[in-house]
Amino acid sequence: MMNDRDDEKLERLIEGALSGLPLRRAPDLLQRRVLDEIARRAAAPWWRRGFAQWPIAARAGFVIVCVMLAGVSLTSGLMQQFGTQTLTWAQPLIGLMASIGAVTALAVSLVPPLLIYLALGVGALLYALLFGLGAFAYRTLYLQHVNTAMIKS
Amino acid sequence: MVLNEHTPVQTQPTGTGSLDFTTFMRSYQDMVFTTAARVTGSDSQAQDIAQEVFVRAYEHFADLAGSATAGGWLKTVATNLSINHLNRYRRRWRMFSEMKVADDESAPEIEWEVPDTLLSDLSAEQRGAIVDAALRRLPDHQRLPLVLYHFEDLSYQEIAVKLGVSLTKVKTDIRRARAALLPVLQDAAARDTLEG
Repeated sequence: MMNDRDDEKLERLIEGALSGLPLRRAPDLLQRRVLDEIARRAAAPWWRRGFAQWPIAARAGFVIVCVMLAGVSLTSGLMQQFGTQTLTWAQPLIGLMASIGAVTALAVSLVPPLLIYLALGVGALLYALLFGLGAFAYRTLYLQHVNTAMIKS
Repeated sequence: MVLNEHTPVQTQPTGTGSLDFTTFMRSYQDMVFTTAARVTGSDSQAQDIAQEVFVRAYEHFADLAGSATAGGWLKTVATNLSINHLNRYRRRWRMFSEMKVADDESAPEIEWEVPDTLLSDLSAEQRGAIVDAALRRLPDHQRLPLVLYHFEDLSYQEIAVKLGVSLTKVKTDIRRARAALLPVLQDAAARDTLEG
């Protein structure tokens, strides 16, 4: 049975075996792959890159639009609540959002609740089935393969 | 002098005055690839990760080119990307597939005899080949903390924080990884001696 002294001895042995090992040689293709990837990303249009790499004007515009949308949403909520009629320039947008909300509410009210619960139940069942099948495949095809390799070694 | 043949962590390539990116990459590619390969246990995944590391390095090349800490930066990014890569797949299946692994701490201990020496007669190159092959055979949850402890010099506590697991699990996994590695290394060394 293993004791603390064996544990320390094993740690020293493994440390000794693993220390001072030379680096492995990177594949010759790595450099080519990196340069190709850099070229590919450089050729991509700006909107397909990360936000930090967008042009300053585009980033500023995006932030302004987001702030405006948030402001309109907030204002429309307040207007609904208090009935004030400020920000007349935003009326068309607020009207559009209100219409979309009304259509969505109407569509939901037309569908019987039982059907909604049924659809949710079927969705959850299919999700669990897919997850279970994936886990089964992972265990039988991958984990058993790994375990067999460990035993053989 | 080729730096990455001598030191596990390179700090600065030779002639950093006007360094172009290809020279920079050539100086560090073995270190980055080795780090990723040891953490993931897969050469093909290590290639993908090394590629991503250097693409990010290219984006920060103005800062990295003359920096004495470029090697450390690359090693940290390579390690973190490798861990993220392993976690991405692990999280998807953890719920169903790693129930046994989660209970690993209560599993019976493996019994083994501790030898007095291990791979001491072999050259560093021979040891390297044997160790890398043996590491690939370990399951991810054992290889990862072992590599972080022995190659990246992280403490048990740092590994636990980095991997988001308990300190006890880190210690158990590393102890089991060492115990699993021992017979593989002994067998490989014996085979190597016979063949040599």
